[in-house]
Amino acid sequence: MRRGVIAVATLAFVLLGGDPAAAYLKLGIRVGAGTVTLKWQKFPIRYFVSNASGGGVSATELRDVVNRTFATWDAVPRAEISAEFAGFTAARPNDNDGLTVIGFLNRPQQSRTLGATSFLVDTVTGEIVEAEIFLNSAFDWSVAPSGQPNRFDVESIMLHEVGHLLGLGHSALGETELRSGGRRVLAAEAVMFPIAFSAGSIEGRTLKPDDMAGLADTYPTTAFRRELGSISGRVRKDGRGVLGAHVVAFNLRNGHMVGGFSLNEDGSFVIGGLEPGPHALRVEPLDDGDVESFFDLTLNIDTNFRVKFHDRIIVVPRGGGTSGIEIRVEPK
Amino acid sequence: MSRPLGSNPLSALALLVVLASPSESAAQVWVGSAGPKPGSVEITAGGAWNAGQDLASRAATLTPNPGTGSSGFQLFTSDASLEPTLGANAAVAVYVTRRIAVEGAVRLARPQLRVRLGNDFEGAPPTTATTTLNQYVFTGSLLYHLGEGRVAPFVAAGAGHVRDLHGGNELVETGTEYHGKLGLKMWAGSRRRIGLRAEAGVSMIDGGFSFEERTRAVPIAMLGLSFRF
Repeated sequence: MRRGVIAVATLAFVLLGGDPAAAYLKLGIRVGAGTVTLKWQKFPIRYFVSNASGGGVSATELRDVVNRTFATWDAVPRAEISAEFAGFTAARPNDNDGLTVIGFLNRPQQSRTLGATSFLVDTVTGEIVEAEIFLNSAFDWSVAPSGQPNRFDVESIMLHEVGHLLGLGHSALGETELRSGGRRVLAAEAVMFPIAFSAGSIEGRTLKPDDMAGLADTYPTTAFRRELGSISGRVRKDGRGVLGAHVVAFNLRNGHMVGGFSLNEDGSFVIGGLEPGPHALRVEPLDDGDVESFFDLTLNIDTNFRVKFHDRIIVVPRGGGTSGIEIRVEPK
Repeated sequence: MSRPLGSNPLSALALLVVLASPSESAAQVWVGSAGPKPGSVEITAGGAWNAGQDLASRAATLTPNPGTGSSGFQLFTSDASLEPTLGANAAVAVYVTRRIAVEGAVRLARPQLRVRLGNDFEGAPPTTATTTLNQYVFTGSLLYHLGEGRVAPFVAAGAGHVRDLHGGNELVETGTEYHGKLGLKMWAGSRRRIGLRAEAGVSMIDGGFSFEERTRAVPIAMLGLSFRF
């Protein structure tokens, strides 16, 4: 197989747009018949901060926020990553120059995009070679500890983008409503939900169980394999697998929610990084938002089925998995 | 001059004592075997009933977007309970005195966990999801009998170890149990070796399968056949 380096799709964090649901999703690329998870393989990740200010935030303030967000991800239990600030740079976060650069770009034409992350990846191993994060300086930004009205919180948005930089896709753990001009998020339980909370909010500074499970599943420690477990099975409709169903595991003890998607034509899904104990399962379609926020549009994502609870309680073992779960859904 | 044996009052008394002694002695042994004595062993086997428990009611909540003015967002709700169940109980007791015994026992039950899921924001049909636990409780107790007759009330208290296995034994959860019980033993037959034993009480469980970090009080009742030897 030919080894190469390609830029992969940019993941944008938007102001209005759309999808509800619930779950973490690891980024991946097709290699032959299979999929390889995108992830960093060399640590620490060395990142540069662009020396250009933007949106009312200086480069130094941006660096401090970026350092905090990496520290937040680094503190996720049972996950192993590290990153270090490599310095300020005159480079901008849109060059394939071998540097991982984070900074502001003025993109007034992208009137709904607060920020985005793009990658350069090894097409054989899935190794992330370089990543770029930009925040759109066409918006007003804030680094105030308690946030500022009508300004977007840099730390909240940067935490989401650094999640992408580390290899996480969008989570569907949230609900939205249709409004003129787009879809507004009503509530979310994942920093990696693709639509931002309103300006002035700082709720996005706190990682949720879904985010943490996603990172730990991507960069697991031995404790992750020893102490946590997984649920796997299939979602089926009319005797056939459902692709793109969103399955949420609800921990009956502590209320934590972690999700996964059925990622194959046979409807198979795996939800990892779950705490041991009894879980209820809820299945829902990605039926009211942009499917491309989660999946390649070439995939035949099935959204024509009703939301359903599974009728069995699934017990997650410590350091293992419960498999063979079959959830049958009904067409709408 | 010879004298008839029975004419000597002392001899007669001696004979009476001699003749009487064996039968008097046997009567004492018989009375002793009818009730327990130090070292007596009693085994019991029977059924056990565990009352159900209401577990936590919990909502699946999302963090609301402050921009919507909402202070909370509920995706769905769950109400969980452990159903009442019949199980098995076996015990071995050794009498330390005629009234006090120490007992080791094991109690087995397979309670069903039922979780009612509903009030879904997107209209998922309400569903009751279930699974079954295999629950083992190994206990040690001190029994004090309030009588030694055919009907012997007793009180018991002790502690134990709880071992809960989920479904296909995917997960083991352990805990500590404390209990207090009142009971009655009703012995049958002249030798009182077989009897019916009934008891009821409260089992306090700390750990094991639970949704909360608190000690739970579970009413229990047991009925069994006892054999003493």
